[in-house]
Amino acid sequence: MIALACVVGVPLYYIVVNTLKTQEEMARSPLGLPSQLFLDNYRQIFETVPLGRSFVNTLLVTVASILVMLFIGSTAAYAMAMRASRFNRFFGALLLLGFIVPGQSTLIPLYRMLVDVELVDTLRGLVIIYTGGAIFCYFLIQGYISRLPFEIIEAARIDGAGPFQIYWLIVLPLIRPILATVGVFQTMWIWNDFITPSVFLSSPEKSTLVLQVYRSVGEFSTDWPGFMTMSVLVLVPMVVFFVLTQRHIVDGLLAGSVKS
Amino acid sequence: MTAGVIAPAGTSPEVPAGATPPPRRGWGRARETTANQLFLVPVALVFVVLLVVPLTQTFYWSFTDFTGYSAEVKFVGLSNYGKVLTDPSMLAGLGFTLAFTIGTAVLITMVAIPLAVVLNKKFFARNFVRSVFFFPAIPSIAILGLVWGYILSPLGSGVLNSLLDSLFSAGPYPFLSDATLARVSVIVVAVWGGAGWHAVLYLAYLQSIPADYYEVATIDGASARQQFFHITLPLLTPAIVISNFLLMTGGLKVYDLPFTLTKGGPGYATYTITQSIITSGVAQGRYGLASALAVLFTIAVGLVAVAQLWVSRRIERRVL
Repeated sequence: MIALACVVGVPLYYIVVNTLKTQEEMARSPLGLPSQLFLDNYRQIFETVPLGRSFVNTLLVTVASILVMLFIGSTAAYAMAMRASRFNRFFGALLLLGFIVPGQSTLIPLYRMLVDVELVDTLRGLVIIYTGGAIFCYFLIQGYISRLPFEIIEAARIDGAGPFQIYWLIVLPLIRPILATVGVFQTMWIWNDFITPSVFLSSPEKSTLVLQVYRSVGEFSTDWPGFMTMSVLVLVPMVVFFVLTQRHIVDGLLAGSVKS
Repeated sequence: MTAGVIAPAGTSPEVPAGATPPPRRGWGRARETTANQLFLVPVALVFVVLLVVPLTQTFYWSFTDFTGYSAEVKFVGLSNYGKVLTDPSMLAGLGFTLAFTIGTAVLITMVAIPLAVVLNKKFFARNFVRSVFFFPAIPSIAILGLVWGYILSPLGSGVLNSLLDSLFSAGPYPFLSDATLARVSVIVVAVWGGAGWHAVLYLAYLQSIPADYYEVATIDGASARQQFFHITLPLLTPAIVISNFLLMTGGLKVYDLPFTLTKGGPGYATYTITQSIITSGVAQGRYGLASALAVLFTIAVGLVAVAQLWVSRRIERRVL
Protein backbone atom coordinates (compact mmCIF):
# COMPACT_ATOMS: atom_id res chain seq x y z
CA MET A 1 0.00 0.00 0.00
CA ILE A 2 2.70 2.39 0.98
CA ALA A 3 4.51 1.42 -2.22
CA LEU A 4 1.45 2.40 -4.20
CA ALA A 5 1.25 5.69 -2.38
CA CYS A 6 4.82 6.28 -3.47
CA VAL A 7 3.85 5.85 -7.11
CA VAL A 8 1.35 8.64 -6.67
CA GLY A 9 3.67 10.64 -4.48
CA VAL A 10 6.83 10.35 -6.57
CA PRO A 11 5.83 13.06 -9.05
CA LEU A 12 5.23 15.38 -6.10
CA TYR A 13 8.55 14.49 -4.53
CA TYR A 14 10.21 14.88 -7.89
CA ILE A 15 8.85 18.37 -8.31
CA VAL A 16 9.87 19.64 -4.89
CA VAL A 17 13.31 18.11 -4.79
CA ASN A 18 14.31 19.41 -8.20
CA THR A 19 13.56 23.00 -7.34
CA LEU A 20 16.55 22.85 -5.01
CA LYS A 21 19.01 21.78 -7.70
CA THR A 22 20.79 23.40 -10.60
CA GLN A 23 19.59 22.39 -14.04
CA GLU A 24 22.82 20.51 -14.55
CA GLU A 25 22.42 18.48 -11.36
CA MET A 26 18.80 17.78 -12.16
CA ALA A 27 19.76 16.27 -15.49
CA ARG A 28 22.43 14.16 -13.80
CA SER A 29 20.30 12.75 -10.98
CA PRO A 30 16.64 13.62 -11.39
CA LEU A 31 15.48 11.66 -8.34
CA GLY A 32 18.40 12.11 -5.96
CA LEU A 33 18.48 14.52 -3.06
CA PRO A 34 20.24 17.80 -3.80
CA SER A 35 23.96 17.75 -2.99
CA GLN A 36 23.67 21.22 -1.53
CA LEU A 37 20.83 23.59 -0.82
CA PHE A 38 20.41 25.63 -3.97
CA LEU A 39 17.96 28.50 -3.67
CA ASP A 40 18.77 30.46 -6.82
CA ASN A 41 15.69 29.05 -8.54
CA TYR A 42 13.47 30.67 -5.95
CA ARG A 43 15.33 33.95 -6.09
CA GLN A 44 15.10 33.98 -9.86
CA ILE A 45 11.37 33.26 -9.96
CA PHE A 46 10.59 36.14 -7.66
CA GLU A 47 12.63 38.41 -9.89
CA THR A 48 11.13 37.35 -13.22
CA VAL A 49 7.51 36.35 -12.55
CA PRO A 50 5.12 38.74 -10.77
CA LEU A 51 3.76 36.04 -8.49
CA GLY A 52 3.06 38.46 -5.63
CA ARG A 53 0.69 40.52 -7.72
CA SER A 54 -1.17 37.52 -9.11
CA PHE A 55 -1.42 36.16 -5.59
CA VAL A 56 -3.12 39.37 -4.46
CA ASN A 57 -5.41 39.29 -7.51
CA THR A 58 -6.44 35.71 -6.79
CA LEU A 59 -6.98 36.47 -3.12
CA LEU A 60 -9.17 39.49 -3.87
CA VAL A 61 -11.29 37.65 -6.41
CA THR A 62 -11.68 34.59 -4.21
CA VAL A 63 -12.62 36.45 -1.03
CA ALA A 64 -15.06 38.79 -2.80
CA SER A 65 -16.72 35.96 -4.72
CA ILE A 66 -17.08 33.76 -1.67
CA LEU A 67 -18.64 36.53 0.43
CA VAL A 68 -21.14 37.42 -2.30
CA MET A 69 -21.97 33.78 -2.96
CA LEU A 70 -22.51 32.92 0.68
CA PHE A 71 -24.69 35.98 1.16
CA ILE A 72 -26.89 35.19 -1.84
CA GLY A 73 -27.03 31.47 -1.11
CA SER A 74 -27.92 31.91 2.54
CA THR A 75 -30.58 34.60 1.99
CA ALA A 76 -32.24 32.43 -0.64
CA ALA A 77 -32.14 29.35 1.56
CA TYR A 78 -33.56 31.37 4.44
CA ALA A 79 -36.45 32.68 2.34
CA MET A 80 -37.29 29.17 1.17
CA ALA A 81 -37.23 27.86 4.72
CA MET A 82 -39.51 30.62 5.99
CA ARG A 83 -42.17 30.26 3.36
CA ALA A 84 -42.99 27.12 1.42
CA SER A 85 -45.54 28.69 -0.88
CA ARG A 86 -46.28 27.09 -4.22
CA PHE A 87 -44.36 29.86 -6.00
CA ASN A 88 -41.30 29.33 -3.83
CA ARG A 89 -41.32 25.62 -4.36
CA PHE A 90 -41.60 26.13 -8.10
CA PHE A 91 -38.75 28.64 -8.02
CA GLY A 92 -36.64 26.21 -6.01
CA ALA A 93 -37.20 23.53 -8.63
CA LEU A 94 -36.29 26.04 -11.32
CA LEU A 95 -33.02 26.81 -9.56
CA LEU A 96 -32.11 23.18 -10.00
CA LEU A 97 -31.58 24.15 -13.62
CA GLY A 98 -28.68 26.33 -12.55
CA PHE A 99 -27.23 23.28 -10.94
CA ILE A 100 -27.29 21.19 -14.08
CA VAL A 101 -26.53 23.68 -16.85
CA PRO A 102 -22.76 23.62 -17.46
CA GLY A 103 -20.86 26.89 -17.43
CA GLN A 104 -19.69 26.30 -20.99
CA SER A 105 -23.16 26.80 -22.40
CA THR A 106 -23.46 30.35 -21.07
CA LEU A 107 -19.82 31.30 -21.59
CA ILE A 108 -20.08 33.13 -24.91
CA PRO A 109 -23.11 35.30 -24.04
CA LEU A 110 -21.57 36.11 -20.66
CA TYR A 111 -18.38 37.14 -22.38
CA ARG A 112 -20.30 39.51 -24.63
CA MET A 113 -22.30 40.79 -21.69
CA LEU A 114 -19.12 41.74 -19.84
CA VAL A 115 -17.76 43.36 -23.00
CA ASP A 116 -20.94 45.44 -23.24
CA VAL A 117 -20.71 46.72 -19.67
CA GLU A 118 -16.92 47.14 -19.99
CA LEU A 119 -16.15 44.67 -17.24
CA VAL A 120 -14.28 42.17 -19.35
CA ASP A 121 -10.63 41.96 -18.32
CA THR A 122 -11.38 43.28 -14.84
CA LEU A 123 -11.30 41.46 -11.53
CA ARG A 124 -14.79 42.78 -10.76
CA GLY A 125 -16.10 41.14 -13.91
CA LEU A 126 -14.56 37.86 -12.81
CA VAL A 127 -16.33 38.13 -9.44
CA ILE A 128 -19.64 38.64 -11.25
CA ILE A 129 -19.12 35.45 -13.23
CA TYR A 130 -18.26 33.49 -10.09
CA THR A 131 -21.41 34.78 -8.40
CA GLY A 132 -23.23 32.16 -10.46
CA GLY A 133 -21.84 29.64 -7.94
CA ALA A 134 -24.37 31.04 -5.45
CA ILE A 135 -26.95 28.59 -6.75
CA PHE A 136 -24.77 25.67 -5.69
CA CYS A 137 -24.30 27.33 -2.28
CA TYR A 138 -28.04 27.75 -2.01
CA PHE A 139 -28.71 24.04 -2.38
CA LEU A 140 -26.20 23.00 0.24
CA ILE A 141 -27.29 25.67 2.72
CA GLN A 142 -30.96 24.94 2.10
CA GLY A 143 -30.38 21.27 2.92
CA TYR A 144 -28.77 22.30 6.19
CA ILE A 145 -31.40 24.88 7.18
CA SER A 146 -34.21 22.40 6.62
CA ARG A 147 -32.70 20.20 9.34
CA LEU A 148 -32.47 23.02 11.89
CA PRO A 149 -34.98 22.99 14.75
CA PHE A 150 -37.61 25.38 13.48
CA GLU A 151 -38.77 26.14 17.07
CA ILE A 152 -35.85 28.53 17.48
CA ILE A 153 -37.05 30.68 14.62
CA GLU A 154 -40.64 30.40 15.80
CA ALA A 155 -39.60 31.52 19.28
CA ALA A 156 -37.77 34.54 17.87
CA ARG A 157 -40.83 35.46 15.87
CA ILE A 158 -43.03 35.29 18.91
CA ASP A 159 -40.55 37.58 20.65
CA GLY A 160 -41.21 40.07 17.86
CA ALA A 161 -38.09 39.66 15.74
CA GLY A 162 -38.52 40.67 12.10
CA PRO A 163 -37.30 38.61 9.16
CA PHE A 164 -34.02 40.54 8.86
CA GLN A 165 -33.27 40.17 12.55
CA ILE A 166 -34.03 36.46 12.43
CA TYR A 167 -31.76 36.02 9.43
CA TRP A 168 -28.86 38.00 10.84
CA LEU A 169 -29.03 37.16 14.54
CA ILE A 170 -30.40 33.64 14.57
CA VAL A 171 -30.07 31.82 11.29
CA LEU A 172 -26.62 33.02 10.22
CA PRO A 173 -24.91 31.98 13.47
CA LEU A 174 -26.72 28.64 13.38
CA ILE A 175 -25.63 27.79 9.85
CA ARG A 176 -21.98 28.69 10.38
CA PRO A 177 -20.80 25.06 9.92
CA ILE A 178 -22.35 24.72 6.47
CA LEU A 179 -21.15 28.20 5.50
CA ALA A 180 -17.61 27.09 6.34
CA THR A 181 -17.96 23.88 4.36
CA VAL A 182 -19.47 25.56 1.33
CA GLY A 183 -17.00 28.43 1.55
CA VAL A 184 -14.02 26.11 1.63
CA PHE A 185 -15.40 24.06 -1.23
CA GLN A 186 -16.01 27.08 -3.43
CA THR A 187 -12.62 28.56 -2.51
CA MET A 188 -10.97 25.49 -3.97
CA TRP A 189 -12.95 25.99 -7.16
CA ILE A 190 -12.23 29.68 -7.63
CA TRP A 191 -8.62 29.58 -6.53
CA ASN A 192 -7.86 26.73 -8.90
CA ASP A 193 -10.10 27.80 -11.75
CA PHE A 194 -8.38 28.12 -15.09
CA ILE A 195 -11.14 28.37 -17.68
CA THR A 196 -12.82 31.56 -16.42
CA PRO A 197 -9.71 33.73 -16.02
CA SER A 198 -8.25 32.42 -19.26
CA VAL A 199 -11.36 33.52 -21.14
CA PHE A 200 -12.14 36.76 -19.31
CA LEU A 201 -8.73 38.20 -18.41
CA SER A 202 -6.21 39.36 -20.96
CA SER A 203 -3.95 41.93 -19.28
CA PRO A 204 -0.90 40.29 -17.70
CA GLU A 205 -1.12 42.48 -14.59
CA LYS A 206 -4.59 41.14 -13.79
CA SER A 207 -3.67 37.46 -14.02
CA THR A 208 -4.68 35.07 -11.31
CA LEU A 209 -2.05 32.65 -10.06
CA VAL A 210 -3.05 29.72 -12.22
CA LEU A 211 -3.24 31.91 -15.30
CA GLN A 212 0.12 33.47 -14.48
CA VAL A 213 1.73 30.04 -14.32
CA TYR A 214 0.17 29.08 -17.61
CA ARG A 215 1.33 32.25 -19.32
CA SER A 216 4.86 32.02 -17.96
CA VAL A 217 5.41 28.47 -19.16
CA GLY A 218 6.77 29.74 -22.46
CA GLU A 219 9.56 31.61 -20.69
CA PHE A 220 10.86 28.38 -19.22
CA SER A 221 10.93 26.33 -22.41
CA THR A 222 13.58 23.95 -21.07
CA ASP A 223 14.31 25.58 -17.72
CA TRP A 224 12.58 22.83 -15.78
CA PRO A 225 13.81 23.66 -12.31
CA GLY A 226 12.57 27.20 -12.91
CA PHE A 227 9.14 25.99 -13.87
CA MET A 228 8.94 23.48 -11.04
CA THR A 229 9.92 26.18 -8.58
CA MET A 230 7.09 28.35 -9.76
CA SER A 231 4.64 25.44 -9.43
CA VAL A 232 5.79 24.73 -5.90
CA LEU A 233 5.40 28.37 -4.92
CA VAL A 234 1.88 28.40 -6.32
CA LEU A 235 1.01 25.15 -4.57
CA VAL A 236 2.14 26.33 -1.13
CA PRO A 237 -0.92 28.48 -0.30
CA MET A 238 -3.20 25.66 -1.45
CA VAL A 239 -1.41 23.09 0.67
CA VAL A 240 -1.58 25.32 3.74
CA PHE A 241 -5.27 25.87 3.05
CA PHE A 242 -5.77 22.12 2.67
CA VAL A 243 -4.04 21.29 5.93
CA LEU A 244 -6.14 23.85 7.78
CA THR A 245 -9.46 22.91 6.25
CA GLN A 246 -9.12 19.23 5.40
CA ARG A 247 -12.22 18.27 7.36
CA HIS A 248 -14.36 20.83 5.56
CA ILE A 249 -13.05 19.77 2.19
CA VAL A 250 -14.07 16.18 2.75
CA ASP A 251 -17.43 17.28 4.20
CA GLY A 252 -18.02 19.49 1.19
CA LEU A 253 -17.06 16.70 -1.15
CA LEU A 254 -19.64 14.44 0.44
CA ALA A 255 -22.36 17.05 0.82
CA GLY A 256 -21.84 18.29 -2.71
CA SER A 257 -21.91 14.85 -4.23
CA VAL A 258 -24.91 13.60 -2.30
CA LYS A 259 -26.82 16.73 -3.15
CA SER A 260 -26.20 16.50 -6.85
CA MET B 1 -23.05 44.65 13.24
CA THR B 2 -25.76 45.14 15.84
CA ALA B 3 -29.42 44.37 15.64
CA GLY B 4 -30.35 48.04 15.54
CA VAL B 5 -28.84 48.53 12.14
CA ILE B 6 -31.06 46.06 10.42
CA ALA B 7 -34.07 46.17 12.68
CA PRO B 8 -36.10 49.02 11.09
CA ALA B 9 -36.92 47.22 7.88
CA GLY B 10 -38.27 44.20 9.59
CA THR B 11 -39.71 45.35 12.92
CA SER B 12 -43.07 43.84 13.47
CA PRO B 13 -46.00 45.74 14.96
CA GLU B 14 -45.83 46.06 18.71
CA VAL B 15 -47.46 43.25 20.47
CA PRO B 16 -48.95 43.75 23.92
CA ALA B 17 -47.56 41.50 26.59
CA GLY B 18 -49.46 38.32 27.04
CA ALA B 19 -50.97 38.34 23.58
CA THR B 20 -50.14 35.56 21.14
CA PRO B 21 -48.76 37.20 18.01
CA PRO B 22 -48.65 34.50 15.32
CA PRO B 23 -50.48 33.76 13.16
CA ARG B 24 -50.24 37.36 12.06
CA ARG B 25 -53.05 38.80 10.03
CA GLY B 26 -53.59 41.69 7.65
CA TRP B 27 -50.84 44.22 7.13
CA GLY B 28 -48.36 42.79 9.59
CA ARG B 29 -48.44 39.46 7.94
CA ALA B 30 -48.31 40.86 4.41
CA ARG B 31 -45.29 42.93 5.34
CA GLU B 32 -43.52 39.97 6.83
CA THR B 33 -44.23 37.92 3.73
CA THR B 34 -42.89 40.68 1.52
CA ALA B 35 -39.78 40.96 3.66
CA ASN B 36 -39.26 37.22 3.42
CA GLN B 37 -39.67 37.25 -0.31
CA LEU B 38 -37.12 40.07 -0.55
CA PHE B 39 -34.52 37.52 0.47
CA LEU B 40 -35.10 35.77 -2.82
CA VAL B 41 -34.26 38.83 -4.90
CA PRO B 42 -30.47 38.34 -5.02
CA VAL B 43 -30.67 34.72 -6.08
CA ALA B 44 -33.37 35.57 -8.62
CA LEU B 45 -31.07 38.23 -10.08
CA VAL B 46 -28.21 35.76 -10.35
CA PHE B 47 -30.54 33.20 -11.89
CA VAL B 48 -31.88 35.57 -14.53
CA VAL B 49 -28.73 37.56 -15.38
CA LEU B 50 -26.17 34.78 -15.25
CA LEU B 51 -28.30 31.88 -16.41
CA VAL B 52 -31.64 32.50 -18.10
CA VAL B 53 -30.56 35.44 -20.28
CA PRO B 54 -27.28 33.92 -21.53
CA LEU B 55 -28.86 30.52 -22.01
CA THR B 56 -31.60 32.07 -24.12
CA GLN B 57 -28.99 33.96 -26.13
CA THR B 58 -27.02 30.80 -26.76
CA PHE B 59 -30.17 29.10 -27.92
CA TYR B 60 -31.14 32.03 -30.16
CA TRP B 61 -27.67 32.44 -31.69
CA SER B 62 -27.50 28.78 -32.51
CA PHE B 63 -30.12 29.41 -35.23
CA THR B 64 -28.42 32.52 -36.66
CA ASP B 65 -25.26 33.50 -38.51
CA PHE B 66 -24.29 36.01 -35.79
CA THR B 67 -20.57 36.80 -35.86
CA GLY B 68 -20.42 39.32 -33.05
CA TYR B 69 -19.88 42.31 -35.35
CA SER B 70 -22.42 42.22 -38.17
CA ALA B 71 -25.44 44.40 -37.46
CA GLU B 72 -27.68 42.17 -39.50
CA VAL B 73 -28.42 38.81 -38.00
CA LYS B 74 -30.01 36.27 -40.29
CA PHE B 75 -31.83 33.13 -39.30
CA VAL B 76 -30.16 30.12 -40.79
CA GLY B 77 -32.39 27.43 -39.32
CA LEU B 78 -30.61 24.24 -38.36
CA SER B 79 -27.60 24.73 -40.62
CA ASN B 80 -25.29 25.46 -37.66
CA TYR B 81 -26.26 22.14 -36.15
CA GLY B 82 -25.50 20.46 -39.45
CA LYS B 83 -22.11 22.15 -39.56
CA VAL B 84 -21.29 21.12 -35.99
CA LEU B 85 -21.86 17.50 -36.90
CA THR B 86 -19.65 17.70 -40.00
CA ASP B 87 -16.90 20.12 -38.90
CA PRO B 88 -13.79 17.94 -38.45
CA SER B 89 -12.41 19.87 -35.46
CA MET B 90 -15.73 19.81 -33.62
CA LEU B 91 -16.22 16.13 -34.36
CA ALA B 92 -12.71 15.48 -33.08
CA GLY B 93 -13.57 17.42 -29.90
CA LEU B 94 -16.75 15.44 -29.50
CA GLY B 95 -14.95 12.14 -30.04
CA PHE B 96 -12.14 12.74 -27.60
CA THR B 97 -14.46 14.21 -24.96
CA LEU B 98 -16.58 11.06 -25.08
CA ALA B 99 -13.51 8.80 -24.98
CA PHE B 100 -12.13 10.79 -22.06
CA THR B 101 -15.44 10.68 -20.18
CA ILE B 102 -15.93 6.95 -20.53
CA GLY B 103 -12.24 6.14 -20.07
CA THR B 104 -11.83 8.13 -16.86
CA ALA B 105 -15.19 7.00 -15.44
CA VAL B 106 -14.37 3.31 -15.93
CA LEU B 107 -10.73 3.50 -14.83
CA ILE B 108 -11.27 5.75 -11.82
CA THR B 109 -14.10 3.53 -10.59
CA MET B 110 -11.92 0.45 -11.00
CA VAL B 111 -9.05 2.08 -9.13
CA ALA B 112 -10.97 4.03 -6.50
CA ILE B 113 -13.10 1.22 -5.05
CA PRO B 114 -10.23 -1.17 -4.23
CA LEU B 115 -8.22 1.83 -3.06
CA ALA B 116 -11.01 2.84 -0.69
CA VAL B 117 -11.31 -0.73 0.63
CA VAL B 118 -7.59 -0.77 1.39
CA LEU B 119 -7.57 2.72 2.88
CA ASN B 120 -10.42 1.63 5.14
CA LYS B 121 -8.21 -1.03 6.79
CA LYS B 122 -5.99 -0.18 9.70
CA PHE B 123 -2.32 0.08 8.81
CA PHE B 124 0.79 2.07 9.56
CA ALA B 125 0.61 5.77 8.60
CA ARG B 126 -2.91 5.38 7.27
CA ASN B 127 -3.87 9.04 7.48
CA PHE B 128 -0.68 10.07 5.74
CA VAL B 129 -1.25 7.62 2.91
CA ARG B 130 -4.84 8.82 2.57
CA SER B 131 -3.64 12.39 2.29
CA VAL B 132 -1.10 11.47 -0.38
CA PHE B 133 -3.80 9.92 -2.53
CA PHE B 134 -6.16 12.80 -1.98
CA PHE B 135 -3.49 15.42 -2.60
CA PRO B 136 -3.79 15.69 -6.42
CA ALA B 137 -7.34 16.98 -5.85
CA ILE B 138 -5.99 20.04 -4.03
CA PRO B 139 -3.99 22.04 -6.57
CA SER B 140 -5.37 23.31 -9.83
CA ILE B 141 -5.69 20.66 -12.54
CA ALA B 142 -4.27 23.24 -14.95
CA ILE B 143 -1.01 23.42 -13.01
CA LEU B 144 -0.83 19.65 -12.70
CA GLY B 145 -1.33 19.47 -16.44
CA LEU B 146 1.60 21.80 -17.03
CA VAL B 147 3.81 19.83 -14.64
CA TRP B 148 2.89 16.56 -16.32
CA GLY B 149 3.64 18.22 -19.62
CA TYR B 150 7.23 18.55 -18.47
CA ILE B 151 7.34 15.03 -17.12
CA LEU B 152 5.89 13.44 -20.26
CA SER B 153 7.73 15.72 -22.68
CA PRO B 154 8.39 13.73 -25.86
CA LEU B 155 11.92 15.16 -26.09
CA GLY B 156 14.72 12.84 -25.10
CA SER B 157 15.30 15.16 -22.16
CA GLY B 158 11.72 14.73 -20.87
CA VAL B 159 11.72 13.40 -17.33
CA LEU B 160 10.08 10.08 -18.00
CA ASN B 161 11.99 9.60 -21.23
CA SER B 162 15.35 10.31 -19.66
CA LEU B 163 14.43 7.99 -16.79
CA LEU B 164 13.45 5.21 -19.21
CA ASP B 165 16.63 5.84 -21.12
CA SER B 166 18.92 5.55 -18.12
CA LEU B 167 17.10 2.53 -16.64
CA PHE B 168 16.24 0.46 -19.70
CA SER B 169 17.94 2.45 -22.46
CA ALA B 170 14.54 2.60 -24.14
CA GLY B 171 12.78 5.44 -25.87
CA PRO B 172 12.38 8.31 -26.29
CA TYR B 173 8.64 7.72 -26.55
CA PRO B 174 6.42 10.38 -28.13
CA PHE B 175 4.02 10.48 -25.15
CA LEU B 176 2.41 13.76 -26.13
CA SER B 177 3.21 13.98 -29.83
CA ASP B 178 1.68 10.71 -31.00
CA ALA B 179 -2.12 10.90 -31.31
CA THR B 180 -2.96 7.67 -29.50
CA LEU B 181 -0.27 8.02 -26.84
CA ALA B 182 -1.34 11.61 -26.19
CA ARG B 183 -4.96 10.52 -25.64
CA VAL B 184 -3.84 7.74 -23.32
CA SER B 185 -1.50 10.13 -21.45
CA VAL B 186 -4.28 12.63 -20.82
CA ILE B 187 -6.60 9.92 -19.51
CA VAL B 188 -3.89 8.35 -17.32
CA VAL B 189 -3.02 11.72 -15.76
CA ALA B 190 -6.72 12.34 -15.13
CA VAL B 191 -7.00 8.98 -13.37
CA TRP B 192 -3.90 9.81 -11.31
CA GLY B 193 -5.51 13.08 -10.32
CA GLY B 194 -9.04 11.85 -9.66
CA ALA B 195 -8.75 8.37 -8.14
CA GLY B 196 -7.90 9.57 -4.63
CA TRP B 197 -10.73 12.07 -4.57
CA HIS B 198 -13.27 9.43 -5.52
CA ALA B 199 -11.71 6.95 -3.11
CA VAL B 200 -12.50 9.39 -0.30
CA LEU B 201 -16.10 9.45 -1.51
CA TYR B 202 -16.26 5.65 -1.44
CA LEU B 203 -14.51 5.62 1.92
CA ALA B 204 -17.36 7.58 3.49
CA TYR B 205 -19.86 4.99 2.27
CA LEU B 206 -17.64 2.09 3.33
CA GLN B 207 -17.48 3.45 6.85
CA SER B 208 -21.26 3.32 7.07
CA ILE B 209 -21.37 -0.43 6.35
CA PRO B 210 -21.82 -2.17 9.73
CA ALA B 211 -18.85 -4.33 10.71
CA ASP B 212 -21.28 -7.09 11.81
CA TYR B 213 -21.98 -7.98 8.20
CA TYR B 214 -18.36 -8.91 7.70
CA GLU B 215 -18.16 -10.73 11.03
CA VAL B 216 -21.19 -12.85 10.21
CA ALA B 217 -19.84 -13.54 6.72
CA THR B 218 -16.48 -14.57 8.15
CA ILE B 219 -18.16 -16.95 10.59
CA ASP B 220 -20.15 -18.42 7.70
CA GLY B 221 -16.86 -19.03 5.95
CA ALA B 222 -17.04 -16.42 3.21
CA SER B 223 -13.69 -15.56 1.67
CA ALA B 224 -12.44 -11.98 1.44
CA ARG B 225 -13.20 -12.07 -2.26
CA GLN B 226 -16.77 -13.25 -1.68
CA GLN B 227 -17.25 -10.58 0.98
CA PHE B 228 -16.10 -7.92 -1.44
CA PHE B 229 -18.43 -9.00 -4.23
CA HIS B 230 -21.46 -9.90 -2.09
CA ILE B 231 -21.35 -7.31 0.69
CA THR B 232 -19.11 -4.39 -0.17
CA LEU B 233 -19.93 -3.92 -3.81
CA PRO B 234 -23.76 -4.13 -3.52
CA LEU B 235 -23.77 -1.75 -0.56
CA LEU B 236 -21.57 0.68 -2.46
CA THR B 237 -24.05 0.94 -5.33
CA PRO B 238 -25.34 4.40 -4.34
CA ALA B 239 -21.76 5.66 -4.13
CA ILE B 240 -20.95 4.15 -7.51
CA VAL B 241 -23.91 5.95 -9.04
CA ILE B 242 -22.94 9.29 -7.52
CA SER B 243 -19.25 8.96 -8.29
CA ASN B 244 -19.95 8.01 -11.89
CA PHE B 245 -22.42 10.82 -12.30
CA LEU B 246 -19.76 13.27 -11.16
CA LEU B 247 -17.21 11.62 -13.44
CA MET B 248 -19.56 11.76 -16.43
CA THR B 249 -20.58 15.39 -16.06
CA GLY B 250 -17.02 16.38 -15.13
CA GLY B 251 -15.68 14.41 -18.07
CA LEU B 252 -18.02 16.04 -20.56
CA LYS B 253 -16.97 19.47 -19.27
CA VAL B 254 -13.24 18.67 -19.32
CA TYR B 255 -10.97 21.40 -20.58
CA ASP B 256 -8.11 22.32 -18.22
CA LEU B 257 -6.14 19.09 -18.31
CA PRO B 258 -6.04 18.36 -22.05
CA PHE B 259 -5.53 22.02 -22.81
CA THR B 260 -2.57 22.50 -20.48
CA LEU B 261 -1.06 19.08 -21.19
CA THR B 262 -1.33 18.95 -24.97
CA LYS B 263 -3.17 22.13 -26.09
CA GLY B 264 -5.66 19.78 -27.73
CA GLY B 265 -3.00 18.30 -29.97
CA PRO B 266 -1.29 16.77 -31.72
CA GLY B 267 -3.59 18.01 -34.44
CA TYR B 268 -7.03 17.60 -32.88
CA ALA B 269 -6.23 14.34 -31.09
CA THR B 270 -7.09 15.64 -27.60
CA TYR B 271 -9.39 18.49 -28.60
CA THR B 272 -12.43 18.86 -26.33
CA ILE B 273 -15.95 20.21 -26.71
CA THR B 274 -15.20 23.05 -24.32
CA GLN B 275 -12.06 24.05 -26.18
CA SER B 276 -14.08 23.97 -29.37
CA ILE B 277 -16.73 26.28 -27.89
CA ILE B 278 -14.13 28.73 -26.60
CA THR B 279 -12.03 28.76 -29.75
CA SER B 280 -14.85 29.16 -32.24
CA GLY B 281 -17.00 31.38 -30.04
CA VAL B 282 -14.66 33.75 -28.25
CA ALA B 283 -11.57 33.74 -30.48
CA GLN B 284 -12.99 33.26 -33.97
CA GLY B 285 -16.35 34.97 -33.55
CA ARG B 286 -18.27 32.02 -35.01
CA TYR B 287 -21.09 32.56 -32.53
CA GLY B 288 -23.73 30.60 -34.35
CA LEU B 289 -21.60 27.51 -34.64
CA ALA B 290 -20.26 27.68 -31.09
CA SER B 291 -23.77 28.24 -29.74
CA ALA B 292 -25.13 25.23 -31.59
CA LEU B 293 -22.39 23.12 -30.08
CA ALA B 294 -23.14 24.58 -26.63
CA VAL B 295 -26.83 23.71 -26.98
CA LEU B 296 -26.04 20.12 -27.95
CA PHE B 297 -23.59 19.96 -25.07
CA THR B 298 -26.15 21.25 -22.57
CA ILE B 299 -28.64 18.64 -23.74
CA ALA B 300 -26.03 15.90 -23.33
CA VAL B 301 -25.20 16.98 -19.78
CA GLY B 302 -28.91 17.24 -19.01
CA LEU B 303 -29.49 13.71 -20.27
CA VAL B 304 -26.73 12.37 -18.03
CA ALA B 305 -28.31 14.18 -15.08
CA VAL B 306 -31.75 12.73 -15.84
CA ALA B 307 -30.26 9.26 -16.26
CA GLN B 308 -28.50 9.58 -12.91
CA LEU B 309 -31.76 10.63 -11.22
CA TRP B 310 -33.60 7.74 -12.81
CA VAL B 311 -30.97 5.18 -11.85
CA SER B 312 -30.71 6.34 -8.25
CA ARG B 313 -34.52 6.35 -7.87
CA ARG B 314 -34.61 2.75 -9.07
CA ILE B 315 -31.86 1.76 -6.69
CA GLU B 316 -33.60 3.40 -3.77
CA ARG B 317 -36.77 1.51 -4.58
CA ARG B 318 -34.90 -1.78 -4.80
CA VAL B 319 -33.21 -1.24 -1.47
CA LEU B 320 -36.36 -0.25 0.40
